[in-house]
Amino acid sequence: MAKKITIDPVTRIEGHLKIEVEIEGGKVKNAWSSGTMARGFEAMLIDKDPRDAPFVTSRFCGVCYSVHQLTSARALDSAFGAKVPWGGTLIRNLVMGAEYIYDHPLHFYQLSALDYIDIMAVANYKGKDKDLLAIKEKVVNLVKSNDTHPLTPRYKPDQFCVKDPEVVITAVKHYIDALKIHAQARNMGAIWGGRTPHYQNIVPGGVTSFPDINQVVRFRTMLDEQAKFINEVYIPDVLAFGTGPLWELAKMGLGGGHYNYLSYGAFEKDPEGKSLVFPAGVIVGLNPANIKVEPFDPQKITESVKFAWYKESKPVHPYQGEQVFDLDKKEAYSFVKAPRYDGKPMEVGPLARMLVAKNPQVLGLVKKGAKPGVVARHAARAIETKLIVDACYEWCDKLLSEMTKPGFKIHDTEHWEPPEKGMGAGFYEAPRGALGHWIEIKDKKIKNYQAVVPSTWNASPRDEKGVRGQYEESLIGVPVPDPENPINVVRVIRSFDPCLACAIHLIDPHTNEVRKFIIE
Amino acid sequence: MKEGEQLKNPLETIESHGISRRDFLKYSAVAAALFGISEFEFTSKIAQAIASSSKKPPVIWLEGQDCAGCSISFTQILNPPASAIILDKISLRYHETVMASSGHLAEKVYHDTVKEGGYVLVVEGSVPTADERFCMVGGRPFKAILEEAANRAGAIIAVGACASYGGIPKATPSKGVGLDKALPGKAVINLPTCPVHPDHLAGTVLYFLTTGKVPPLDKIGRPLIYFSESIHDNCRRRAHFDANRFLEDWNNPEQKEWCLAKKGCKGPLAKSDCPIRRWNDGINFCIDCGAPCMGCGEPEFYEDMSPLYTAESEISKRIWAMKEEGLFARENS
Repeated sequence: MAKKITIDPVTRIEGHLKIEVEIEGGKVKNAWSSGTMARGFEAMLIDKDPRDAPFVTSRFCGVCYSVHQLTSARALDSAFGAKVPWGGTLIRNLVMGAEYIYDHPLHFYQLSALDYIDIMAVANYKGKDKDLLAIKEKVVNLVKSNDTHPLTPRYKPDQFCVKDPEVVITAVKHYIDALKIHAQARNMGAIWGGRTPHYQNIVPGGVTSFPDINQVVRFRTMLDEQAKFINEVYIPDVLAFGTGPLWELAKMGLGGGHYNYLSYGAFEKDPEGKSLVFPAGVIVGLNPANIKVEPFDPQKITESVKFAWYKESKPVHPYQGEQVFDLDKKEAYSFVKAPRYDGKPMEVGPLARMLVAKNPQVLGLVKKGAKPGVVARHAARAIETKLIVDACYEWCDKLLSEMTKPGFKIHDTEHWEPPEKGMGAGFYEAPRGALGHWIEIKDKKIKNYQAVVPSTWNASPRDEKGVRGQYEESLIGVPVPDPENPINVVRVIRSFDPCLACAIHLIDPHTNEVRKFIIE
Repeated sequence: MKEGEQLKNPLETIESHGISRRDFLKYSAVAAALFGISEFEFTSKIAQAIASSSKKPPVIWLEGQDCAGCSISFTQILNPPASAIILDKISLRYHETVMASSGHLAEKVYHDTVKEGGYVLVVEGSVPTADERFCMVGGRPFKAILEEAANRAGAIIAVGACASYGGIPKATPSKGVGLDKALPGKAVINLPTCPVHPDHLAGTVLYFLTTGKVPPLDKIGRPLIYFSESIHDNCRRRAHFDANRFLEDWNNPEQKEWCLAKKGCKGPLAKSDCPIRRWNDGINFCIDCGAPCMGCGEPEFYEDMSPLYTAESEISKRIWAMKEEGLFARENS
């Protein structure tokens, strides 16, 4: 007999998420993903000065702040007709790169690792390493004082949790080290971004931060330390876990989902953006032996609100989006809408990017027998962090040579004033996946604003055809031997690095119906 | 000299908790002066507070209509490191972004802690008032959870602009409000700015744990030690404001350090110690990256600060009128 369980809140993610699953015969038979918080940023942006949008949309999310600011600025660049000078693009790339470098390890250590280790195994550490013994003492003292928050309570460790004291204690040390390392990575971004979270320097037309040589040197020096951590700690940890204790989960392909992948592409390697660190493309129905990547066509994006708390409408392109909250809608169960590409649900994020790029390391893992799913997602995340580190070195060098040229520019000042009217779209890759912002301008004000963010794709509810979103589909068949202890469910969900605050939007571009919006 | 020797023991305690001695002394000299006590007294009290950790103070950190930016800012605290605060200094019972447990296990810890009472309640994010269903956690409206948790809290700290005064969500259809409106009559320490400054949070928590008291606050609940002077008063571009040199083109190296008032800077009517304290370990702050201050520590943020990048907002108009009247002229210049 099927048993329904609800996990609310799903923790160690950004935002408010509820997951419901129906379990039969020890496996998930059906699943529902619900975003349970909404603010309505886009509705508020209507009638504002368009240049406010990057600053405001940065506050969609305090974890992936800069990418909203950047993607919003790119939508405005296109609406204003601005051409960002190469110097401006390089600084945008560097501050955005710093965000990736902190965000991915944070996801692995702070948000995910506790699902894969039995932290109490630390007490059995028998080695003599001074640093590790200090950690053992810390944890033992926590246990003795009868207060192990926030490390407990937790779901009971299952057979996939690593229990080897040596491995676990090293992982705990890296958890603590990573907190410090990623604070330093955010400091790198602040060299031009002003501060974190929420950079201050990205504006339509470029950036506000005119660089000096010392800043580049400082960024580079700090990057050395990050590179060391990424190459010597983060990547080895992920690969050691993925190909060691978690290899069974990798072979099982836990949390695979629909096997459709989408990347908008990001990080220009040249002034014209001809070559990107992350290429754009679409994969429908992945065949690992023969990966077919189609070109990305922005016109094929639509959003369905059939099962979301918005006034009913047909699926439309984000430019035509016209939604109003309807909290009493009978069949609705989420504030997240259901975006589809060519009518199909998509996975976005590191795994999608690395498959679209046909990254040899990720394909190598697949060849060895790892099916795309939870473990592959963690591996792709680590692998692409290194690509960004390497690219940051190149951008530092390019910025140094660029800024010593006469007439060096960081901003298209000719196009700073908003046009009377215009439309623009910005596409980028957030750490969590494909991100798009759309703007329409009339009388120099925002007439319509819309964002479709990574977690809208991944966390989407069912669409008008009843097809599940990617989280939901990924949960089907997931083993849950004990309904009281659904650890595999949270493993699957966390592998996507959910970011729910971003995922929920409201717009009402044409009718100004927001003021009519009544909930009772 | 005698005091120097007396200092040794507390400092060892502090060092054993992963805080560098040099940095701590630097910090405590300033803090002690601000709190009006001797450096020795301050250091001893801090040492006492962090050594008597047999019963760590319980903390509940609630997230309402938030972006987790203040949580990320919290992990930016490097000295003492955030990990030491989480594991050694406080008993962090509930924090959705940090805690190991999910679902009913997480909810149980929350309820047990509320029953116990006397915890520090930290709130991030606003409270929707248009309809409480705009923010639901564990199947319950956030508003109900907040009221319940506030009733039995020993101290309440609002972190960030949203929890303090409503911030950006105040202007949205969900009509988010800060604790000033959501918990009328309750004593709340407000640490606005978007996001919260990590030092403001660490300092306030340490002050509370050390003295058992709320630090002196201004009329709108902000600690005076951080919010008594305007950005403008301590801005190093101020001489350019006085001399009417305003940045117009971000590409022009000559204008690089000029005043940002024409780009919409709200610094003259915004309070916070950002220009002195700076952000990210002193690396930078908004104005030093060529961007205007948006006044994110003020109750008027965001709606009344808009448009952000021109001098046309109501706040900017007031600033220009005041400048015309000579109200910003320096007394001794």
